[in-house]
Amino acid sequence: MSAVATAAAPNQNQQEDGGVTQNTARVFDEVLLEVKDISLAFGGVKALTNISFDIRKGEIRAIIGPNGAGKTSMLNVINGFYHPQDGTITYKGQVRRKMRPHNAAKQGIARTFQNVALFKGMSTLDNIMTGRLLKMRTNMLLQAIYWGPNQREEIRHREYCEQIIDFLEIQAIRKTPVGRLPYGLQKRVELARALAMEPELLLLDEPMAGMNVEEKEDMCRFVLDVNEEFGTTIALIEHDMGVVMDISDRVVVLDYGRKLADGPPDEVRRDEEVIRAYLGVGH
Amino acid sequence: MFYREAGQYKSDYASDQAIFPIRQDRIGVLLIFLFALLVIPFIATNYLLNSILVPFLVFSIAAIGLNILTGYCGQVSLGTGGFMACGAFFTFKLTTWMPEVNILLIFLMAGFGTALVGIAFGIPSLRIKGFYLAIATLAAQFFLIWMFTQNPWWTNYNPAGVITAPPRALFGNFYITGIEATPVNKYLFLLCFTAALALVAKNLVRSALGRAWMAIRDMDIAAEIIGIRPMAAKLSAFAVSSFFIGISGAAWAFMYTASVEALAFEVTRSFQVLFMIIIGGLGSILGSFLGAAFIVLLPIALSNLPAMVGLRLPVDLIAHLEFMIFGALIVFFLIVEPNGLARLWQIGKEKLRRWPFPY
Amino acid sequence: MPMRILPWLIIPPAAIIGLGLLLQGISAIDSQLYFTWGYFLEVLIAGTLQGVMYSLVALGFVLIFKASSIFNFAQGSMVLFAALTMVGLMGWGLHWTLAFLATAGVMVLLAMAIERAVLRPLVNQPHIILFMATIGIFYFLDGFGQTLWGSDVKQLDIGIPRTPIFIFEETFEGGILVNQFDVIAALVGGALVAILAIFFQKTRIGRALRAVADDHQAALSVGIPLKTIWAIVWSVAGIVALVTGVMWGSKMGVQFTLALIALKALPVLILGGLTSIPGAIVGGLIIGAGEQIAEVFLSTYIGSAIQDWFAYVLAMLFLLIRPQGLFGEKIIERV
Repeated sequence: MSAVATAAAPNQNQQEDGGVTQNTARVFDEVLLEVKDISLAFGGVKALTNISFDIRKGEIRAIIGPNGAGKTSMLNVINGFYHPQDGTITYKGQVRRKMRPHNAAKQGIARTFQNVALFKGMSTLDNIMTGRLLKMRTNMLLQAIYWGPNQREEIRHREYCEQIIDFLEIQAIRKTPVGRLPYGLQKRVELARALAMEPELLLLDEPMAGMNVEEKEDMCRFVLDVNEEFGTTIALIEHDMGVVMDISDRVVVLDYGRKLADGPPDEVRRDEEVIRAYLGVGH
Repeated sequence: MFYREAGQYKSDYASDQAIFPIRQDRIGVLLIFLFALLVIPFIATNYLLNSILVPFLVFSIAAIGLNILTGYCGQVSLGTGGFMACGAFFTFKLTTWMPEVNILLIFLMAGFGTALVGIAFGIPSLRIKGFYLAIATLAAQFFLIWMFTQNPWWTNYNPAGVITAPPRALFGNFYITGIEATPVNKYLFLLCFTAALALVAKNLVRSALGRAWMAIRDMDIAAEIIGIRPMAAKLSAFAVSSFFIGISGAAWAFMYTASVEALAFEVTRSFQVLFMIIIGGLGSILGSFLGAAFIVLLPIALSNLPAMVGLRLPVDLIAHLEFMIFGALIVFFLIVEPNGLARLWQIGKEKLRRWPFPY
Repeated sequence: MPMRILPWLIIPPAAIIGLGLLLQGISAIDSQLYFTWGYFLEVLIAGTLQGVMYSLVALGFVLIFKASSIFNFAQGSMVLFAALTMVGLMGWGLHWTLAFLATAGVMVLLAMAIERAVLRPLVNQPHIILFMATIGIFYFLDGFGQTLWGSDVKQLDIGIPRTPIFIFEETFEGGILVNQFDVIAALVGGALVAILAIFFQKTRIGRALRAVADDHQAALSVGIPLKTIWAIVWSVAGIVALVTGVMWGSKMGVQFTLALIALKALPVLILGGLTSIPGAIVGGLIIGAGEQIAEVFLSTYIGSAIQDWFAYVLAMLFLLIRPQGLFGEKIIERV
């Protein structure tokens, strides 16, 4: 219990220094996505059992839980990569049918991965430009000619990507193949690619895993800025309790594929069951 | 010393996204092209034109085509020979059916026809990945060759099962196929045609489509999650690739050998083109040219070598030795530079930039 | 791994009877098609026995793929090389058993040379590079074998009887003609598979092999010598190639085309999966039988020489129904 509290403390100060509005003050009414009674199993293994929660427009929603709790499976369900055996997903007021991930992308759901999933053979800029693919309209013939409409479109999207590059402060690595970048920067490029899609809902799977304190602080700042400036709704999975308690508006806690708790960070932090799941009995 | 980009500032995105952003490269490529266009036709012997430059250009087109599929989109295909045969036989049927239509147009139509065949074979086989796909493309290879050998319709009922290129002019008296076509004519046409096709390929791979292909190649799951439809992306790569390969097959039959049977496009042809792109460099248009040059020149060098040293060997022994040396060289090359000649060229350029300083 | 036996007892006979009924129906409509159940079974048996040979080649592929994820295109040229070497040694007056053993030794040496000269320098390269390297080996071995032993067609005779025999003479009119040679070849193939199964399941090397097949890194970390294992696997594949070479070679003579039979084994791999030994065997039988039946009963409709591609099309059709292959597990992708 105390470990959670102390870890949260330094970040809290930093946040207030930055002048970012704190979680408790914000209220969100409009539901963007609602999952209801989701159950997912692989063969006999149950990954998720009767999970229900909602994500509201404009908020930062954290999904936490011990390893193997089903957090990543939950994200996979949301962006259509896994198909739950049971339950419904309502997105923007419409019940979603069984779909593939690219349909989810079209509807405005972007995603980053636990293990960086960048296109290793391409430069940073090209990686970010792939995020614009859904917005590009010129056909194959015009692309083959290149000069003319296609070049104009390329330049227009390049300009948008350059804004994101400036925003995430990765100007220096624009032309570097992403395979050569250090881990922390790769995570940032992945975020940039997701942002290039101009998503309404951004799913972040452990955006700060494996980072040092400084990099984590940077990442926190970016997540908050994205939420603030673009108004993007964010759902994130994170293990660092300090970060979670600090930046999220509401937290849902999973354990062994079941929902343990759901609510604002302060409430969840005091929940008996959550403490038991995280720290074990007798701590 | 001379190869510096210092002082060349780009002030807009258009110049930053150019094919050759460095001025020296632009000048160099232009000079090479002008030399090939204006000087070579006057100094080259017929042997050089017919046996080296024409096949080099024909294979370059095929290599660019396969590189789009394998190098850029990451799908290994062993069906290249079959698709080349498609291009050749489609051209033959079309041009004998409609002799008045310009041969250039016929080539392009044959290319589109091959692209359709590519899509037809792509739909079932793209459900699978990796080596399974490679094996599935062999189905296209064997089926297509069988179809062209079994049905005399394709050769206009030629008793030997051979198609012979009829004389066709690009314009006026400028014959590029048939007996009236001089080697210089063929060479000049192929040079411009290949250059145009290479430009098209380069434009595609630096546009949205090319980025979708590369995304599929590098990580198909992530590509799907940013909104790329994997099947559509792979199929488009299959189609574009088949288009290029079909055209190269047509050029092979009509301009390189002038008369050909379906067996000329056996599975060894597929391997040959695959070797070109691996040795030249996967995912590189320049590499396609370098690889084609390497594979065209190697057997010529190998078969002339013993005679140059003064050895007299029986013909079949030479053939077997060629096989051996070819195989060994392939392995050697893969060990020394798995990223191909294009990578070597790049390293050389980096060195040149720093020269004469070591760092 | 629990094997559900029941489907295997029901599906194959049902498929055979169904196919027979279908052909019988066609022959009833179209008198061009000659069909009797005896003839059908005869073709089926001949095809299945032929399929054993495909299984043998496929087995060589699967062994190497399982242990090193290398798609060894050179398997076919290994078959040719082994057969050529054995014929060559017998030409020196060696008895066939001695020649066989000596050739097995040569194949082991070859495996070690390949591991040393090709695999070791290319370790950790992408799969396609290794695949290309095996095509390089394919060319090299083809040239090497023929440089050493010449390229003319050679007879390989190790005394397998070739006289055809008739079985079930009471049940079917005229009985069913079975080629004795094919039966013996099938028995040899079966014995080889049994020996390999024991080798893989019961010996220490076998356990190490399975560990390597599962995960290279993990196997290395518990002290399994990867390089030795690869040399062993390639040796085993070499010996499988030798047996294949002897069988095919004594059936159709030792010549260059032996190297190309490898291509016939590839659809078997689509059917059975690249990593499944039972898959290679069952796949080979299906391909052999299907191909033979198609050639005999369908060639009047779609033209002759369809065995060049029929196996591939059969495998592709199968893929549409079951993309993971006969014995493959449904893959759960993780992100």
